[in-house]
Amino acid sequence: MRCLLVGFSLLATLAAAPARADQLPIFDAHMHYSHDAWDVVPPREVVEILKKAGVKRAMVSSSNNEGTRMLQDVAPDVIVPELRPYRSRGEISTWAKDPTVIPFLEDLLSKRRYRAIGEFHIYGADADLPNMRRVVELASQYGLYLHSHSDADAVVRHFRQDPKAKVLWAHSGFERPEKVREMLRTYPTLWCDLAFLTSHASNGKVAPGWREAFLEFPDRFVLGTDTFTPERWHYVIEHARWSRQWLADLPPDVARKIAYENGDRLFGGELGGKPEGGAVGGRR
Amino acid sequence: MIRRLLAWVLAVAATAGAGVSAQPLAQPLAQPLLDWTEEEVTLIARHGPWPLPPVRDPSNRVSASPAAVRLGEHLFYDTRLSGTGQTSCATCHRPDRNWSDGLARAQGTVELDRRTPSLWNVGYGPWFGWDGAGDSLWAQSIRPILDPREMGAGTGRVAALLREDATLACGYEKAFGDRPGRDDERLLVDAAKALAAFQATLVTPRTPFDVFRDALVNGDRVAAARYPLAAQRGLRLFVGAASCNACHFGPRFTNGEFGDVGIPFFVRPGEVDSGRLGGLARLAGSPFNLLGSHSDDTTGEAGRRTRHVQRLHSNFGEFRVPGLRQTARGGPYMHNGSLASLDDVVRHYSEVSPDRLHSDGVPLVRPLGLSAEEQGDLVAFLRSLDAEVPPRPPVPPLCP
Repeated sequence: MRCLLVGFSLLATLAAAPARADQLPIFDAHMHYSHDAWDVVPPREVVEILKKAGVKRAMVSSSNNEGTRMLQDVAPDVIVPELRPYRSRGEISTWAKDPTVIPFLEDLLSKRRYRAIGEFHIYGADADLPNMRRVVELASQYGLYLHSHSDADAVVRHFRQDPKAKVLWAHSGFERPEKVREMLRTYPTLWCDLAFLTSHASNGKVAPGWREAFLEFPDRFVLGTDTFTPERWHYVIEHARWSRQWLADLPPDVARKIAYENGDRLFGGELGGKPEGGAVGGRR
Repeated sequence: MIRRLLAWVLAVAATAGAGVSAQPLAQPLAQPLLDWTEEEVTLIARHGPWPLPPVRDPSNRVSASPAAVRLGEHLFYDTRLSGTGQTSCATCHRPDRNWSDGLARAQGTVELDRRTPSLWNVGYGPWFGWDGAGDSLWAQSIRPILDPREMGAGTGRVAALLREDATLACGYEKAFGDRPGRDDERLLVDAAKALAAFQATLVTPRTPFDVFRDALVNGDRVAAARYPLAAQRGLRLFVGAASCNACHFGPRFTNGEFGDVGIPFFVRPGEVDSGRLGGLARLAGSPFNLLGSHSDDTTGEAGRRTRHVQRLHSNFGEFRVPGLRQTARGGPYMHNGSLASLDDVVRHYSEVSPDRLHSDGVPLVRPLGLSAEEQGDLVAFLRSLDAEVPPRPPVPPLCP
């Protein structure tokens, strides 16, 4: 039962959607464009959706990574490529023990440039499995972020393996804001995306606990829509509108950082990797 | 065969007191009875007793009123409630089709994007429509009357009908205590409240499952053993390994809420049915929601859910969890009629693609990987939630 009863007015949320949402540009750090989306939401339609949503740049991963390349071909200045260890999204639960995954990643890293490895799914002690350890090594080798959909335990293990790792914690681990703050204090190279979360905001207001987190760590949060099914591309515009509503409840400088500046600073720079001559999908 | 033999052995062993409180075996069991554990019996008990007590809606002052039920039944079959004069509620909610229409997608003035939901046991729900845009049965009953794609009657047309048709005006007076007044919107709402009073009487009969459930709870092993073995195995899956009861909960076999079960929700290229997310927006914008002036509840309690419901990203593409009673007589299935048969539905849950499911916490929906025999058992159980429905008596006259 996902229909939570909490003390906020539905009418205030939806009927009176205010015109206060400003025109903040958005860096969306959590998007997917997987194989099942390519025909029903073609690349040019994706770019049009991003434009309408005011998403200036988007970090995109895809199963099997071809989708990312297709979007880069259409909008190289908009799409920030992220390397996903899945050939189909169904590999979420098998990739960590699949011996073919690492050669697949190493092959793509030798051919194209990326900004991060992920989003991958890993929990608890599985983060110490050989595949995950090797992914942490590859991220270090190529200067990439790890985009980890995981619990706090797995994040701790990432940093144990590489204290200098750069980790983007997907969905902020679906954790309580107090736990998120604790993790951010402990690990200076941990950042959090807010994809698929609604606990931090309602009715255009930032929730207590999360407000303190955003104010204490304004440089450590980024937005994300999480287009995990093709249909969800048609939620990007609504999600951007919703995000601008609650961002307007924060000090303007904090709102700008979370909306765009953090993503652009972290992921908008030079891409990592070792492209060889004629590499496909590298930064132009 | 080995499983059947094993079940028989277990059944005999169970007479010594395993799980269910055992009665002396006065007569041989008609067939093997699975060795139900106390935990399983507790879970099964939650799906009854049936029928539930009649429901009364505090937001509807004529809820459960016999005169209102009668008026509502007349209105339900009255094609003058549509703009063309050719469509009634019963055009899509056909009593001979389990109060649905047997179509994959409802047919109004145009083909719609969703299947016509059955009205069986509709009075017990907290939310109405596939997207929950209605927070009361009467509010939900207004929507198709006004929607130009469905019945397309204006408020004035409904009000005029109640005022000008002598029989309906008489029925209105009996139900509401006054002659139809001049306030068109109030008359529209009252018509819907009478329709809701009627629809709330549509309660499914007791089924083979209910007989089994009561026997199991009462420790009557002889009566319980008359329940087909395949249905027993399917029920064990339903409340056990498959966890269907996490959403299909309680006597109605629904928690009344919403879920994304991996059914694609594109309606045409470039357009999606946003499901519960859009439903929440429509609910908030409706002048007929339970926070508005048309609710007859003076305590504010009826509108509590509406006041507090919160929108979630996961609401995008979620649809209402349907009840399962009489479901085998319905179909096609799912919100958009995309699955033709119960076998297809069970196969969907067996093979659902994890590509479509978001992995936040323990997923309620996951590919079950059922064998063909297990799929057949689940279907056998679902079919045991059906019963023959007695013929409906003729609609009684409103004002004889």
